Amino acid sequence: MRHPMSRGLLAAFVFAGAVAVTAAGPIGPARADETCQSPYLPKITGQEEFLYVWTLGMEGVGDQSDKLVTIDVRPGSATYGKVIAKVSVGGRHEAHHAGFTDDRRFFWAGGLDDSMIFIFDVHSDPSRPKLVKTIDTFVKDSGGVVGPHTFYALPGRMMITGLSNANDHGGKSALVEYTNDGLFVATHWVPDGKDMRGATGNGADGYNYDVRVLPRKNVMLSSSFTGWSNYMMDFGKMLADEAAMKRFGQTVTLWNLHTRQPRKVFTVPGAPLEIRWAWGPNHNYAFTTAALTSKLWLIYEDDAGQWQAKAVADIGDPAKIPLPVDISISSDDRHLWIDTFMDGTARLFDISDPHNPKEVYQKKIGAQLNMVSQSWDGKRLYFTSSLLANWDKQGNDNEQFLKAYTWDGKQLTHKFTVDFRKENLGRSHIMRFGARSLYSG
Amino acid sequence: MTGLSNRRARIGRLLAFLLTLAAAMAIASAAANGADDHDRRAVARIAAPPLGLPPVPVPADNPVTAEKVALGRKLFMDRRLSRNSTMSCAMCHIPEQGFTNNELKTPVGVEGRSLRRNAPTILNVAYARAMFHDARDDFLETQVFGPLLARVEMANPSVGAVLATIRGLDDYAGLFERAFGGPANAHTLGQALATYQRTVLAANTPFDRWYYGGDQDAISPRAAAGFELFTGKAGCSACHLVGEESALFTDHGLHDTGVGYARETASDESVMVEIAPGVSVPVARAVIRSVGLPPEKDLGRLEVTDDPDDLYKYRTPSLRNVALTAPYMHDGSLQTLTDVVRFYDRGGVPHDGLDPLIEPLGLRDDEVAALVAFLESLTGEAIDDLIADARSVGVGG
Repeated sequence: MRHPMSRGLLAAFVFAGAVAVTAAGPIGPARADETCQSPYLPKITGQEEFLYVWTLGMEGVGDQSDKLVTIDVRPGSATYGKVIAKVSVGGRHEAHHAGFTDDRRFFWAGGLDDSMIFIFDVHSDPSRPKLVKTIDTFVKDSGGVVGPHTFYALPGRMMITGLSNANDHGGKSALVEYTNDGLFVATHWVPDGKDMRGATGNGADGYNYDVRVLPRKNVMLSSSFTGWSNYMMDFGKMLADEAAMKRFGQTVTLWNLHTRQPRKVFTVPGAPLEIRWAWGPNHNYAFTTAALTSKLWLIYEDDAGQWQAKAVADIGDPAKIPLPVDISISSDDRHLWIDTFMDGTARLFDISDPHNPKEVYQKKIGAQLNMVSQSWDGKRLYFTSSLLANWDKQGNDNEQFLKAYTWDGKQLTHKFTVDFRKENLGRSHIMRFGARSLYSG
Repeated sequence: MTGLSNRRARIGRLLAFLLTLAAAMAIASAAANGADDHDRRAVARIAAPPLGLPPVPVPADNPVTAEKVALGRKLFMDRRLSRNSTMSCAMCHIPEQGFTNNELKTPVGVEGRSLRRNAPTILNVAYARAMFHDARDDFLETQVFGPLLARVEMANPSVGAVLATIRGLDDYAGLFERAFGGPANAHTLGQALATYQRTVLAANTPFDRWYYGGDQDAISPRAAAGFELFTGKAGCSACHLVGEESALFTDHGLHDTGVGYARETASDESVMVEIAPGVSVPVARAVIRSVGLPPEKDLGRLEVTDDPDDLYKYRTPSLRNVALTAPYMHDGSLQTLTDVVRFYDRGGVPHDGLDPLIEPLGLRDDEVAALVAFLESLTGEAIDDLIADARSVGVGG
């Protein structure tokens, strides 16, 4: 169940330089589990055992605080499909995304509101994560970045995207780098109209969202969402606010991974969010989805070795703003799951020709739908419901769940549901997988 | 009215003299206490306001000193003064955005909670005779507790909690003592914040140099034509007053323009939503309601007085620096100055309570453009200095 690459080899891989090693060689391609993780992580190739769900505290529900919820997904376990642990961090911080350190021993989870970062030990007892450290100096450390979003493992480092800033709560932001020990390293501001920081391209806006790397090409991509004022705002109020709707990211930025220098800014209108690189050793492309314009975009290296961006498919009916949110690429690069929030639907696209993706399957999961995680073999998928505390639906449609399904290549089959409201947990957001075998050898 | 005006003028001249004297003493005192250039210039602005502004009214019990300015500025910019350290005064009154927020019709507070009304600018707030859009407070010194305590703004649970926060911050050690001779309390907290805000003055605009300074070339012929319309055919100056020696462009009164009525009675089945630059799609109200709380009602001044005649009445804002303070009206519903001029050209939103001063104007397009050019001539000369002044302190954590 554990990836054969030992940590010693991983360290060698790091210092030898990712470009040379990842392409081929005795240790094979560097892959991570659940298909959307950093390539620097050890992976679970078989059955995941635990789901860690970073959950937003919800007024009127339980202790109203953000918490890390652990769900048992071991087949045959007496507690299969049940909550087996929860760690409340106290208070609401707009829990959102989270990620493992490159040794997969610690799990960093962020709060988009007050920029708190909570670090959990997931290796001592993977069934019961423990809160071991809190970073409350993210804004000060970074020189004014607000809203730690993606936590992405690089060798010995945690690369964190910020969504906003402490001067105006707008969208200008940066990537912020820490050591695995929680020491601040550097802030890398996203190019904007005033300072391109050496990058080419037009329309740079300084906005930020996700970050993903392709080490063998020495490139890193970042996408763009919106600032604190918008992502914290009541969704309905924002849609009716013409001024606010002008404040969404319209760019994807290509960076030099090693030097952290921005190289090229692509125009990708309508808030491009999650980025997923293909896994194949010769697949030099990534996908992203523009949330507001409901388009699937391909970022690819062309025959001349130049990086390009183009829209390759509509997602649902863009006129209805289905709002594509989380996406998950299969490990064979043939399929891409795309969740659309407004209609609560999971959509499967055939991306075997990345320039011509086609929707081949869809299933309504709930009244609202945000995150999707799939196992490395693509046979198990997990879905959660919450987008942002003030963007989730109102009334009965404000379902909060984790739903587990199996995928047989033709259809999704429901396995279990955890109702996060009935369980007094809150709003379920990002899921990550755990397994004891990661730490047993 | 004439007698009242004369008396006000005499009081104004007396105030100006006293302030000049006080400012001179404050500058000397500040130098002794290590106040920096920003503080000294701020005090000097109060003593000698830029061209076009009258003397600054300052409460007798809260004279301006450099130490108070420095402390008030630090408090104004400090995010730690909100319940969860995310919101400062400056997060809604953003220096680079005209000391308001150009990116939102109405602001959001702690945990993203919704406000009903547009953030008014701090620029020249020293002259406001009543605070908030519904004029529910008379003094800057007491106004500050509104946002500090409002659940939808900075959400502090009590005044005592704010003071406890300040007492717990090492970087405030000695600052209240130096400015007020004693520790922080509700009185001095209000006085410090009011003092800083009183120094945020912006005038000596192209209009001021043209109208009060005698520089015939300071504004364009189009802007000059706009001024003729402003004080003539368009009738704007009936509420946005222009004096012989200075202008605040407000009557300090409250009026019903129909904006409040329109907000409360809107029945559009869909809203155009911009999903990318230049790309908008209609979104059904039902969809918007599905992902948002119902907007709170806003009845204007009536909420303060319970007087039915005050329904949908809001304060007349100054028009100084108006080119910097979009979006416009008390609910931020108009995005550009052209939108605003056209709104009044249409005669506001007709309904029973509409202020009789507002009626269709019959403006030609070139007249609309001239009025906009005039409004754009009202931007103060030293905005960058005010921004640098504000940013001379950190944002607190």
